[in-house]
Amino acid sequence: MEEATLSFKARAERALADPTLKIAIDRTTGTAERKRAVAMSQFPQFDAARERGKRIKDHVIANLDHYLLEFERNAIASGAKVYWAATAGEASQIVVRLCKEAGAKRVTRVKSMLGEEIGLPHALDEAGIERVETDLAEHIVQLGGDRPSHIVWPSMHRTREQVSEMFKRLHRAPHQEETIEAMVDSARRELRDKFLSADVAISGANFLIADTGATCTVTNEGNAELTTTPPRVHIVTAGIEKLVPSMGHAIAMLRLLVRSATGADVTQYTTFHCGPKQPGDRDGPEEFHIVLVDNGRTRMLREGLKEMLRCIRCGACMNHCVVFRQLGGHVYGGTYPGPMGAVLTPVLDGLEKSRDLPHACTMNGKCQEVCPVAIPLPTLLRGWRDRSWREGLEPASVRFGLGMHAFFALRPGLYRMATAIAIRVMRLFSRGGVVRGMPGLGAWTAYREFPAPAKRSFMEMYKEQENQR
Amino acid sequence: MSTREAILDAVRGALGHKTVDGAALRREADALLADLPAIRPDLLADGLVEAFIARLVTPKVAATAERIADARELPAAVARYVEARGLPAAIALQPAAVLQALDWSGFDVHDRVAPDETLAVGFARWGIAETGSLVFHSDAETPILANFLPLHHLVMVRASTVLAYLDDYAAATAGQRPPRNVNIITGASGTTDIEGSLVLGAHGPRYLHVVIVGEATDQSAR
Repeated sequence: MEEATLSFKARAERALADPTLKIAIDRTTGTAERKRAVAMSQFPQFDAARERGKRIKDHVIANLDHYLLEFERNAIASGAKVYWAATAGEASQIVVRLCKEAGAKRVTRVKSMLGEEIGLPHALDEAGIERVETDLAEHIVQLGGDRPSHIVWPSMHRTREQVSEMFKRLHRAPHQEETIEAMVDSARRELRDKFLSADVAISGANFLIADTGATCTVTNEGNAELTTTPPRVHIVTAGIEKLVPSMGHAIAMLRLLVRSATGADVTQYTTFHCGPKQPGDRDGPEEFHIVLVDNGRTRMLREGLKEMLRCIRCGACMNHCVVFRQLGGHVYGGTYPGPMGAVLTPVLDGLEKSRDLPHACTMNGKCQEVCPVAIPLPTLLRGWRDRSWREGLEPASVRFGLGMHAFFALRPGLYRMATAIAIRVMRLFSRGGVVRGMPGLGAWTAYREFPAPAKRSFMEMYKEQENQR
Repeated sequence: MSTREAILDAVRGALGHKTVDGAALRREADALLADLPAIRPDLLADGLVEAFIARLVTPKVAATAERIADARELPAAVARYVEARGLPAAIALQPAAVLQALDWSGFDVHDRVAPDETLAVGFARWGIAETGSLVFHSDAETPILANFLPLHHLVMVRASTVLAYLDDYAAATAGQRPPRNVNIITGASGTTDIEGSLVLGAHGPRYLHVVIVGEATDQSAR
């Protein structure tokens, strides 16, 4: 069955039953978590830097109209053309139209989450334009014919064994040796001539610099510059929240972004792209187009989600999320997985379709703790839960369960009696401090243990102490 | 109403304000960067060049570095590099006047970088001690592809242009017309896309060697 048509629960069950997926997720998120921890230990200024990063983004969001206009003015002065798109569909149409006007047969793409969000890969395929993904992970996703499962490591759902098999089947001169180095080399050979023969390059932007009109990309592979330099046309798509006042502000944000994403201090390649080829330049595109995309961002500003517009797409929240690490990214069903995805997907796809996501959270607060711009993700998720309840989107079973809870909670005597019975029954099933199975608890204990309750409830112990006084 | 106006209206409607004072905003934005030492990392050494080199050779950056007293010694440094790695004595030389002026006898020199170029020799305008980065501006002397196509990239940078922090580069160029591309390059090309493990030589250079020329004009880091 097509994954998109399955319910969240069905997708989650399928993911939990896939042992290869679990290995793949653990290998990448484990490495990411360790490397981030090391980077943080070498950056004692992190707390202050994070507070500042938060303030920089808040300052921009609070004056977004001003910075959008400043950016547009400077970009046009640099020779760029600027377009505005209200929706994903509009944005994709603008890009496809620009590709067609350029007579593009082959388009090279630099990984961009916004490109995924607006459905650009699909729109280009529909238009019959050959699309070449140049980021190694996106190349793996394209060969595998599936979707990105992480915003920094889109192919993290693939083990090296699976990648090796795909490259051997689909590359013109595949690797012989079974090492990751040899596989990376195979992709280097495969993509080399495609970089140089493309008609149009499409990239996203990590930052838009208001005072120069430049766009900033960060990569480790160098694929952004190899993609955007040779073709005649370079198109940038970027969300309107990507603005920063100046390069200095981008630098302050970069220190947070890169450490949080990969644990490096800076990416290997940080490039500021400002307009088309200038007189005398040895290379570069003759046309430079920038598409500014709203797609729900002004609605977030209006509807109490403006803190989410601080997000710089580092992926730390998902790397540290206990739910993501069990399920991987595909289960979330949208462009963005993990905690940040659970906040964004209801905006982009509607709460009716995605009400399960804000519930797929233990509220352990780890995501907020590691977020480099201190987004209160658990609070925002709770906001969606609340709204789902108010809009009557919660299923009957949930409403019944909560109704029962409310019934007992409003009758303290009954509540105490019920909990006193429940903990005694649960203790009958506990072994070594945990419950591994019990009638009515199967859905929980199939994948995890339930901690055995204390011998007596808090109220029982409290009363006993009161009596001893 | 155009989409542009609709988006701007939606922003203004949500923010609930009408006019903004650009100069006041600029002051507010600048104030956010007023105490940079509090929000950026310490350098790895006291001297700028020492800190730059220390960062370049960390496993994270994984570049190699050496110092020479004068630019005229660069061809000899390239010859040593080529010999130590058993490479052919053919180089794509960045068309920068400072490099073209040197004596390259003994080398097969060309200025267009081939897609499978083995070794390119370039010139970076600045070095950054904080990150071990090199900064290039696209112009008549600096084709951008030359930084990305070769397998080995050997780059000369003057000690006097090694800056302490990325912010110092931003400050040094503030107010100037930006080039089409500013490349801030830190180490060789790498990828962690297969299971998170770092492999060098993804699409860009696999090896980066930095040659620092001369002495810093100011030896203090701040």
